[in-house]
Amino acid sequence: MAEITYRQALHDTLREELLRDENVFLLGEEIAVFEGSYKITAGLLKEFGPKRVVDTPIVENGFVGMATGAAMLGLRPIVEIMTINFIILAMDEIVNHAAKIYAMFGGQCPIPLVIRTPGGGGQQLAATHSQNLEVWFAHVPGLKVVAPSTPADAKGLLRTSVRDNNPVIFLENLALYNTKGEVPDDGYTIPIGQAKVTKEGTDLTVISYSRMAAVALNVARRLEEEHTLSVEVVDLRSLRPLDQETILSSIKKTNRAIVFEEDWRSFGIGAEIAALVQEEAFDDLDAPVKRVASLEVPLPYSKPLELVTLTGAKQLEDAINELAPRRRRSAS
Amino acid sequence: MGEVSMPRLSDTMQEGTIAQWLKQPGDEIKKGDILAEIETDKATMDLEAYEEGTLQQILVQEGETVPIGQALALIGMGAVVQSPVPAAARSGTDGAGAAPAVAASPPKAETNIQSAHPETARVGELGTVKASPLARRMAEEHRIDLHQVQGTGPGGRIVRDDIEDLLEQRAAPPAPASTPAAAPQAIPAPAAPPSAPPPETEVRKLSRVQVLIARRLTESKQSIPHFYVSSEVDMTDVLLLRQTLNANLDEEGVKVTVNDLIVKACALALEKFPEANSTIQGEQLILYKHINVGIAVDAPTGLVVPVIRDTNTKGVRSIARESKALSARARANKLSPIDLEGGTFSVSNLGMMDASSFIAVINPPQAAILAVASTRKQYVPVEGQPVLRDLMTVTLSADHRILYGATVARFLQEVKRLLQTPYSLLG
Repeated sequence: MAEITYRQALHDTLREELLRDENVFLLGEEIAVFEGSYKITAGLLKEFGPKRVVDTPIVENGFVGMATGAAMLGLRPIVEIMTINFIILAMDEIVNHAAKIYAMFGGQCPIPLVIRTPGGGGQQLAATHSQNLEVWFAHVPGLKVVAPSTPADAKGLLRTSVRDNNPVIFLENLALYNTKGEVPDDGYTIPIGQAKVTKEGTDLTVISYSRMAAVALNVARRLEEEHTLSVEVVDLRSLRPLDQETILSSIKKTNRAIVFEEDWRSFGIGAEIAALVQEEAFDDLDAPVKRVASLEVPLPYSKPLELVTLTGAKQLEDAINELAPRRRRSAS
Repeated sequence: MGEVSMPRLSDTMQEGTIAQWLKQPGDEIKKGDILAEIETDKATMDLEAYEEGTLQQILVQEGETVPIGQALALIGMGAVVQSPVPAAARSGTDGAGAAPAVAASPPKAETNIQSAHPETARVGELGTVKASPLARRMAEEHRIDLHQVQGTGPGGRIVRDDIEDLLEQRAAPPAPASTPAAAPQAIPAPAAPPSAPPPETEVRKLSRVQVLIARRLTESKQSIPHFYVSSEVDMTDVLLLRQTLNANLDEEGVKVTVNDLIVKACALALEKFPEANSTIQGEQLILYKHINVGIAVDAPTGLVVPVIRDTNTKGVRSIARESKALSARARANKLSPIDLEGGTFSVSNLGMMDASSFIAVINPPQAAILAVASTRKQYVPVEGQPVLRDLMTVTLSADHRILYGATVARFLQEVKRLLQTPYSLLG
């Protein structure tokens, strides 16, 4: 076991996979010579050479298309999209090609493609550089979407994603890169489609993913220490497919839920989860599923405005206090 | 309709007191208006309105303290809703009678549970009651009429907490005018998480029923001063009667058991000794009008005591049919709450397991319980000669606050007399 950063976990896994399988190669903007905008790929060009670590021009549609073609021919590309905001330029390649070629060509070409990209805001990068668009991909059949919140989960899920023969959108987060966590030394993998209950509780459930899952865990732990409420936290880890079983078991246990997400509320990840819960666990619900998300405006550049717009610990705590069942409240 | 709830005005705040309402129902509210002054653990602070509209109703009065999140007032569009509350629909669980339409609940600790919402807030357009799916399910399981439940969720919605409150209230001793108390059905939260079990042990989690039974029996032994009187009954003639009754059965007939006959004997004896068919409440003795004898059954989930109603009016065959059906349901975990409610006296029989005598624990809030042991052949002196007879020991456990030794002994004498002249049971 070692305590390493999320960034380090990603770096080490990329390196291990490059060593393990000569078909694996990386491509993206600034990942080779510059060693990556966020230094995830530091040192890899030097070790593996320009055929395994490929700098691309600023043309997302082009190099994602190229990667799709490479995958069709048996290579295993891992594409880095600098931030999820730029993925929009490659939508046609991802949704119409990568997601559908396997089915449309009668199973002749699996597309073992991984697209790694960080989402989220909070660094004053303003409206076009701070978005959370993962729900668009979670909506598309043929794609898998994962979103680890810890270094250990990042490592386990990246291994699985690289070895999976389907196109996987691997969602990271700028604010998570520097976070640290215990990571086992062995070659463990985490299956796609498996959520994790990161904290058990009895009063209500908070369902979250990526950076917000880490925030939720902190809030829940603090409430537990203060003996106010016992909040259960479910870290989805996987958005498509969703781990329905874990979500529903938690609802059956606590009867009240909040989805805590950085994306926008309308038609977001929480909308799917709320629909799922009321469909499958209607009789176990003591209150409607609450969704806590960022305000639905283009994110302002100004720091005070950014703080108010992006959701966070305070909004979650307010929601928890509103939703907490009456008897549990007075019992604290 | 917007709900104004108690905000968290400081980091350490857990509850707040309404010091003063600055607006009254009917007042127009604009965003930013100060609605009330709230006293917190730190200081007195303003309650600001975040919604516009007309103040419809104040739910928490000046001087009352409520936790964070509790609804304080309702703000809506249009004129104030005048809703006369029909007295019949008011929940009568606290026995306080109809509450006025605008909340004026007495400042007690339980006020939080019973802060009055107008009937119309809770009842939808079609007259259906607003309740969460979970609360509906629980109400159905426990045969609760939702119209009798106070909802404390948003907009007066009935939620799980409200059903749990009602179940707990049901478990408490009943108001004098109502029918005999029901078996308690609510389980309180466990006191503390258990520590790690010692090694070389198997840990089995108690079921809800078992936890409930444990609590009731502890309560019984701790709060009721038990005393015990035993009696030896000559069952020879009863056994012969039973044989005769069962010999003439057709295919669908239910066999009468010894226990059925004992239950009938107790029921008839209780007619003559009504104090043994009563319950105590403070300094009052409540005598039940009906004699409903419960029979203890060892069900898979635990010990249950289903009840035969008006046992004294039923023939032994009816009693036999009912007790067989109840036992079967008990063993299949299919007893409904109605089967378990209303018992006024209980009989526990360990005869088939060969116990020569035993003492039972009173089933609160009853006054007594009869423990029936096995029947065995013994020689007794009849006119100087040893004669083989079937003898059975019964022991009555009685609540010494209600019953005294002489009464109990006489009651047992009557039971014995009935069993020893068994034709008196058929009538």
